[in-house]
Amino acid sequence: MTNSPCPHPDNKPFSGQPEKEKTWGGKRFRAGPVAWVIYFNMPTDTKRVRGPEVSQSPSLFSCDPAAVLPSKGPRADGRRRDQVDVRPVFVRCGLVSQAKGSAYLEAGNTKLMCCVYGPRETDRKDETDMKCGRLTTDMRFAPFSCPERGSWIQGSQDKDFSLMLHESLQPAICLHKYPRSQIEVSVMVLENSGSVLAHAVTCASLALADAGIEMYDLVLGCSMRQDGTSYVVDPSYMEENGCSSVSCENQGGLTVAFLPSLNQISGLQSDGDMTEETLTAGVRTCIEGCYKLYPVIQRALTKAVRKAAPSQSES
Amino acid sequence: MARVQVSEAEKVYILHGIRDDLRVDGRGCEDYRHMEIETDVVSNTDGSAKVTLGHTAVLVGVKAEIGKPRPTVPTEGYLEFFVDCSANATPEFEGRGGEELGTELSNTLYKVFNNKRSIDLKSLCICAGEHCWVLYVDVLLLQCDGNLYDAISVAIKAALFNTKIPKVHISSDDEGGKEIELSDDPYDCMRLNVENVPCIVTLCKVGHRHVVDATLQEKACSVASLIISVTHKGTITCMRKVGGGSLDPESIFEMTEAGKRVGKALHAPLMKLLEQEESLGKKRQKVYTCFPGLPLVSPQPPREESGAK
Amino acid sequence: MKLCVPGDKLCSSEDCIPGTGVYLRHGYIYSSLAGYVLRKNEGEELPVISVVRETETQLLPDVGAIVTCKVTSINPRFAKVHILYVGSTPLKDRFRGTIRKEDVRATEKDKVETYKSFRPGDIVLAKVISLGDVQSNYLLTTAENELGVVVAHSEAGAQMVPISWCEMQCPLTHSKEFRKVARVQPEYLQA
Repeated sequence: MTNSPCPHPDNKPFSGQPEKEKTWGGKRFRAGPVAWVIYFNMPTDTKRVRGPEVSQSPSLFSCDPAAVLPSKGPRADGRRRDQVDVRPVFVRCGLVSQAKGSAYLEAGNTKLMCCVYGPRETDRKDETDMKCGRLTTDMRFAPFSCPERGSWIQGSQDKDFSLMLHESLQPAICLHKYPRSQIEVSVMVLENSGSVLAHAVTCASLALADAGIEMYDLVLGCSMRQDGTSYVVDPSYMEENGCSSVSCENQGGLTVAFLPSLNQISGLQSDGDMTEETLTAGVRTCIEGCYKLYPVIQRALTKAVRKAAPSQSES
Repeated sequence: MARVQVSEAEKVYILHGIRDDLRVDGRGCEDYRHMEIETDVVSNTDGSAKVTLGHTAVLVGVKAEIGKPRPTVPTEGYLEFFVDCSANATPEFEGRGGEELGTELSNTLYKVFNNKRSIDLKSLCICAGEHCWVLYVDVLLLQCDGNLYDAISVAIKAALFNTKIPKVHISSDDEGGKEIELSDDPYDCMRLNVENVPCIVTLCKVGHRHVVDATLQEKACSVASLIISVTHKGTITCMRKVGGGSLDPESIFEMTEAGKRVGKALHAPLMKLLEQEESLGKKRQKVYTCFPGLPLVSPQPPREESGAK
Repeated sequence: MKLCVPGDKLCSSEDCIPGTGVYLRHGYIYSSLAGYVLRKNEGEELPVISVVRETETQLLPDVGAIVTCKVTSINPRFAKVHILYVGSTPLKDRFRGTIRKEDVRATEKDKVETYKSFRPGDIVLAKVISLGDVQSNYLLTTAENELGVVVAHSEAGAQMVPISWCEMQCPLTHSKEFRKVARVQPEYLQA
């Protein structure tokens, strides 16, 4: 844009008498603050964002991107390092009345909700649907959920999360009881403060149980981050994305989805660069973290059942 | 993925065989099928490789382009992965059918390379914050016969080994602007260090045991598999469970251990083979065979030139 | 009453017979639902253990189930319907079904004409004969005396009265229309 409608602050003070006139977009406008009024009255294309094609969050420039996190001492939120110290979790069932089942989960600042619809008739058909049902998962991040604004359109990362969610949940659901139908699980991340996938798995399994979908077991998720010799369980966003001062030796993240009463791992994902021993120890740590969540989830679920049918508890 | 129907009797046969460390095609539980690697197959790429593993065939092309570095890491270049599941691999991939698998594969590849050691990304930087090399790694599935991950990872390693990035020279003009000059000499190029590029090992849990490089039949008998990407040092850059079933923790630990062992053993013969093929230069006969655990098969007689007719 | 969540071990399979909302694994009965544990003695040696929820768990049309459906469209070969009820349980989501020409009645199958049996908007009692294959929906039949049209409206818009197994009459215009009429059993009327 060559002649910007923005008045320059160094322009002559507004005196009611414009200094000069310019034409812009076929309309006349005056330089100076009056120009704003004309600018807003212009028939503009509302779908077009009048900004640069590429934009970056100012946070990128305001703080040092390679913020070095200390690899010793307590963590930023006061939790202990090298301990199975998960954030306290707040969970509730049944917040969306239209859905068959729903759940809301909050762990630190990570907030997400999940809705379950179905079983309903499948829209896509192939041979496998005849004997058992289909599970569809959809995980999305609200554009404001991360420090940088995201897009409403599902990116490939979201698809990857959806796939992981699908793989983690599918082994737990008695899909053979729902022939020819599909169960839809959708997770919306409202605020991303780390360990999103792990909490999404927990939240989704709670919503499925709330929907009365038959399941072999609940699914609990836990993640950890290894940083050299020390590790943190249930990492926050900063801990997930910040890099440590030490060399990149033995560094990485791990997310585990676990069926506690069957003692089975239904989902596993790691990245980074870790030794086999670290990874094995990490899986054990995550399982321990899942067991810490288990009573909380059980309590939330029984509470939801009791709330839905208080009369039955007396009989 | 291409599916095969396996009857109950076949399943029992495969399961019992694997229990006794004997697979339908005569392999042991930790053996790969016959693997063929061919590099520098597409002249328009900066690096390419074709790998066939059993009847699975993948073609990988690497193209280097100059782009802008990511604002979070201004001193590094980056890699982009794209996996195309074309309809000639299996008719199911026609239209948008292969899209799901393609995204799954490419997302896994991003995870596999999501560490600072696989590729020295700093070497891809041309001018900090302004220009860097972007390596587009395009994977094309030509045939699907199970174990796509392993074949793709070997092909990517071979293609990256083969990649020649032209040397560039930055000169600043009088006004402080910068000019990028590309070297005219095709032999004046930069090579990537692929020593740390990991290979993926897929372990399929069949019955109580697990097998490496499962065929489609074996895959149909398994509930879940574990993908482990192993570096030549034996560290693991990515691990993920795929498939509809779940695994108990103990078998995951066993599989990790086996995956590490198998993956680590894969690197040395692969590097040797790539270097050997490279040394033969242009006049080499192209197809080489690699079968981990076995000595390298000597080159076959040259193919007949079809253009000589 | 005891509450349980999916995956809770309820008892050994030697103590109870598994009912609904539970599953059997390695000789033990586990819960597959979040709900109340219910033990019932039904004259057998062992009590039946099941897990129940406050609301009826979602039923799906199964082979042999009597369903109530609404005709949405007809053509010479089949009638398309929406399944509304399974037994006496309303379905939350809509499921589609098909009544083929040859499944309309038990006799003289070759002489059936769909438009003389059903009209769009009719409420029909039918039985599920198959879950269908890839192309088709649930396959339903009305080839029993108790199955067929239970509610139908005439062209004048009045609810018609059945006069025979194949005819219904409009109370306003006294015109007769053909239908595959169900002889509704009294126990269904209560439901």
